[in-house]
Amino acid sequence: MFVSASAQDEKSSEIRMENDRQWLKKTALTEVEINILGSYYTQDGNHSAVTGGLGTEELTDVTPAIIVNIPIDSTRQLSFNVGADFITSASTDNIDFNVSSESRNDTRKHINVAYTKRLARPRLTYSFNGGLSKEYDVFAKSIGASLTKETRNGNTEISLSGQAFFDAWDLYYPVELRPPGSGDDDDAQGSDNRNSYNMGLVYSQVLTKRLQVSLSAEFVQQDGLLSTPFHRVFFNDGVDVDGLSTIEILESNKLRKIENLPRSRTRIPIGFRMNYFINDLFVFRGYYRYYSDNFDISAHTVSIDLPVKISPFISITPFYRYHVQTASMYFKPFGEHELDAEFYTSDYDQSAFVSNKYGLGVRYSPLYAIGRFKTPFTKRSKNKFTRFKSAELRYAYFDRSDGLKSSIISFDLAFDLITGKER
Amino acid sequence: MTYRLKKILLLSVSLTLFSSCVSIKEYQKVYLNDEDMSLSQRKIESFEINFESYREAAVGANGGKVGGGCGCN
Repeated sequence: MFVSASAQDEKSSEIRMENDRQWLKKTALTEVEINILGSYYTQDGNHSAVTGGLGTEELTDVTPAIIVNIPIDSTRQLSFNVGADFITSASTDNIDFNVSSESRNDTRKHINVAYTKRLARPRLTYSFNGGLSKEYDVFAKSIGASLTKETRNGNTEISLSGQAFFDAWDLYYPVELRPPGSGDDDDAQGSDNRNSYNMGLVYSQVLTKRLQVSLSAEFVQQDGLLSTPFHRVFFNDGVDVDGLSTIEILESNKLRKIENLPRSRTRIPIGFRMNYFINDLFVFRGYYRYYSDNFDISAHTVSIDLPVKISPFISITPFYRYHVQTASMYFKPFGEHELDAEFYTSDYDQSAFVSNKYGLGVRYSPLYAIGRFKTPFTKRSKNKFTRFKSAELRYAYFDRSDGLKSSIISFDLAFDLITGKER
Repeated sequence: MTYRLKKILLLSVSLTLFSSCVSIKEYQKVYLNDEDMSLSQRKIESFEINFESYREAAVGANGGKVGGGCGCN
């Protein structure tokens, strides 16, 4: 009996070790993966916060990005995410009264690096990340970490994450509100900081062979400068500017101040996701989020994606998203803030509205890749080559009930560098 | 708000209870492992999630920005 129990223990231990090896093999990255992404975004509306809640919100944003995932070995991985936003904005052009000046254009560059390690025996994955972002008036640094635990049967996963952002702002006020003698237009009128701290929890569960769900909750605390220094707010001072153009309103003597918001904000979003594999043709992807913060804003968001697999390699995904939110307690439209208000904004992003987003995505991902070729990284060895795995294109149209409309087209090209190595 | 929190707590407890009932083996997960069944956001969706966080006050619980790191809300 004693020998039989010992042999059984040894067999169980071998089975467990084999299962751990299989889990590492299944979850490990084996080749360098590269995604080249890009988007073109354009919007317009008539409630620019730069001009107090009215005026053009015309803006375009071109965003290229590249994501590289590099396996160090079977348990460790490095990831890089590098990108830029090239922004042209008619509304920020009104920070000064010089139309088509430098304030019309801005570029934001960012880089994020993450290190991930998997531990087979406790089915644990931990990750550390850091990032930098620079635009004309904001320099941001971020750090973060996450811990993910998967059950042995792989049907349940819990993930805990934390992230902190430290933003340093150069303050550029609207030209008529700058302190006297504040120097050239290129000089900032001061500096301030914004710190954001985020804790998140995600619980994922397989329910049936075709259904899995996840519940995510975050707690966000922001401190410091929460208003935007170049946003104007006009007050109910009795000066009538009806019928005047935006520039004429800016040049009038209607009372205006720089947007002012409290220096602390707590935000709580809770999301629920459900994916169901209906049949070989359709997949249902549903999402709901409830949001609440201490600016008195609460919101509901619902979205549905319905991927249609018209062939094993091509899927078309129509999608729809509905969002409704209440207004911040500090928001009022142009010219309606009372003279004695302590905090005030006319930024319509914080107003009450309903938004709808519709769109379509197409993905082509053949089993044996779209193509394969040699690159400078893979030229020397005949066993090394680059594989063009998949291509995806997506278009979305967004409209808000206050009149803002936008559209965005995005693409994702996925490659991997085959090195022929076992990891 | 209290009523909504109670509903979310009830859902969380239900999911936890479900976890003890479910036993789907790896070889039975052919549908769950489909690319379209992933519970996380797709990389291509990140651009839309970003502009939604700029143009709406609500952020988070979707893998996207929750505030900070840019000159945005």
